[in-house]
Amino acid sequence: MSGRYLARKGVQAIVTIAFILVLNFILFRMMPGSPDRVIARNLPAPVHAQLLERWGLDKPLIPDQLVAYVGATLQGDLGDSYRFRGETVVDVLAERIWPTLLLFGLGEIIAIVLGLGLGAYSGWRRGGPVDYVGNGVSLVLYSMPYFVIGMIVLVVFSAGLGWFPTSGMFTIAATYASPLDQAWDFLAHFTLPLTTVAIGLVGQYSILMRSSIIDVMGEDYIATARAKGLRDGVVLRDHALPNALLPAVTLVAINLGYVIAGAITVEIVFGWPGLGTLTVDALAARDYPVLQGVFLLLSISVVLANLAADIAYGALDPRVRT
Amino acid sequence: MTAVAGADVRSARLRLRVRNARSFVRRFLGRRDGALGVAILAAFSVVALFPDLLVGPLQTVTTATGRQLEAPSVAHLFGTDHLGRDMLNLTVHGTRISMTIGLLATLVTLVIGVLVGIVAGYVGGATDTVLMRITDFFLVLPTFVLALILAPIVLDLIGTDAQIGGIRATLFVIVVVIGITSWASTARIIRAQALTLKERAFVSRARVIGASGTHIMVRHILPNVLNLIVANAVLTFAGAILTETTLSFVGLGDPFDPSWGQILNAAQESGAPGLGAWWYVAPPAVSVVLVVLSFTLVGGALDEVLNPRLRARR
Repeated sequence: MSGRYLARKGVQAIVTIAFILVLNFILFRMMPGSPDRVIARNLPAPVHAQLLERWGLDKPLIPDQLVAYVGATLQGDLGDSYRFRGETVVDVLAERIWPTLLLFGLGEIIAIVLGLGLGAYSGWRRGGPVDYVGNGVSLVLYSMPYFVIGMIVLVVFSAGLGWFPTSGMFTIAATYASPLDQAWDFLAHFTLPLTTVAIGLVGQYSILMRSSIIDVMGEDYIATARAKGLRDGVVLRDHALPNALLPAVTLVAINLGYVIAGAITVEIVFGWPGLGTLTVDALAARDYPVLQGVFLLLSISVVLANLAADIAYGALDPRVRT
Repeated sequence: MTAVAGADVRSARLRLRVRNARSFVRRFLGRRDGALGVAILAAFSVVALFPDLLVGPLQTVTTATGRQLEAPSVAHLFGTDHLGRDMLNLTVHGTRISMTIGLLATLVTLVIGVLVGIVAGYVGGATDTVLMRITDFFLVLPTFVLALILAPIVLDLIGTDAQIGGIRATLFVIVVVIGITSWASTARIIRAQALTLKERAFVSRARVIGASGTHIMVRHILPNVLNLIVANAVLTFAGAILTETTLSFVGLGDPFDPSWGQILNAAQESGAPGLGAWWYVAPPAVSVVLVVLSFTLVGGALDEVLNPRLRARR
């Protein structure tokens, strides 16, 4: 992979992140209860002016305030949460990111393995029974908001069958005889959200992989492989799959942001204490600094995921190394 | 050219259009999935247009006709919610609100996307570069999260009780926020088409006889991207309904004008799924899935009818 390709992609990512920072700055100024509005409330003019000066709010928005904001953000200072008194946004985010990472990390892996497998098989046996049923199910799943899947799963397996607890990460105020008990309790709470995330993602990954395989099957090298008399399984494993996986995996990486943004709603259904429930609680309390922190965190992760996808694509597919 | 010849050309062109349209409709309805999607969407549109005729005015806490969380019965076919309101009544009115927001948001999305796409593709140069950088930015951004912070900010700025042209401001804000955050892919597609159209002979001829850029974009480029706009509108509509449902579900909807997402939000807040009240979840959820699925089916069918390459592949 040429250095120029890498450099160009890197610069693009940095420019995008710079855009995001500026956008976040503008949103900060727009929001109700922005610093000068809060300060300006019911204060005599001289005191007001003094406060503005103290906080640097008398300086022009651009460049002084923008520079101060970007500088603070780069140093990891995202401000203080309105709702959790005395906690910084970074603290709040750090506490909530692990449940989300666990849920979506595992959910993504399960969905990728199942979805790509199902999609590859459906595409290979196009028009067969697995394709027919699989494609139908995938389309229906694709049309469902993630939280709807969660609500259905909750109604059936938790309220209806009573197999799993309805919400949270652990039973509230439970005391455990052993760590094993605690782990068991965690698993009981974890199963339904994890299943929901996996089901929600399988549909789109399967659709992606199916169309990727179908595209590849029209290529000349597949006809050549068949003409050489290779067995069907060998053509699929050695010729079609490696070529079809590449665009599919890249699309998975590119879609990561959309997927996670929508899928955090699953947390709300199950009261999972991650970024999704944090976002909704912050939304209800109009805790803007936290909302902005979530936006910054998610958007920068997405940019980085895209960059990783570009680099992987460039490393694996010689045709894009320009 | 004489007037008679002009009329001849016009009527010949009209006949051609009618014949094309007929063959298009025949091919489109010949696909079972497309026809099924159109039928479902037509049914939902009728429900959305005449909710009061079907189930009477929207029930509120004071006009609720049932007891709390009643399971479906003859009196309440879909059961009741946690306030005793009839679920059929709520879902039918939710249809009106969800479909209206979906339609308006699609319009906003298309207007921005088509405008940016045509201008970027036709004008080119620095304008193109700047517009496409912005488009790429919006493509990369997790726009749903942006909508999530944009909506409450705008709501707080204008106040939740405000009205704009008779529509409650909350709904209007959702429409605009969905539009602002989802135009980028439309712009990309339209720009690509505008780029190739720009090189076609009829555009250079128009330029040679002194047509202005605006005239060419409106009269020559726009009609030729209409196909694309229609195919794109179908998928945009599905996306808008999904986004609206999700935004309302997380608490940005309007409790006084409940869409499907708002009903699901109320169900979640009242703890209905945990109590096993499936009838509180099922009607709005099934509606969302049916409508989005139908749009996807129609979109797929349109794509294959309009795109001969795909047709050959099947």
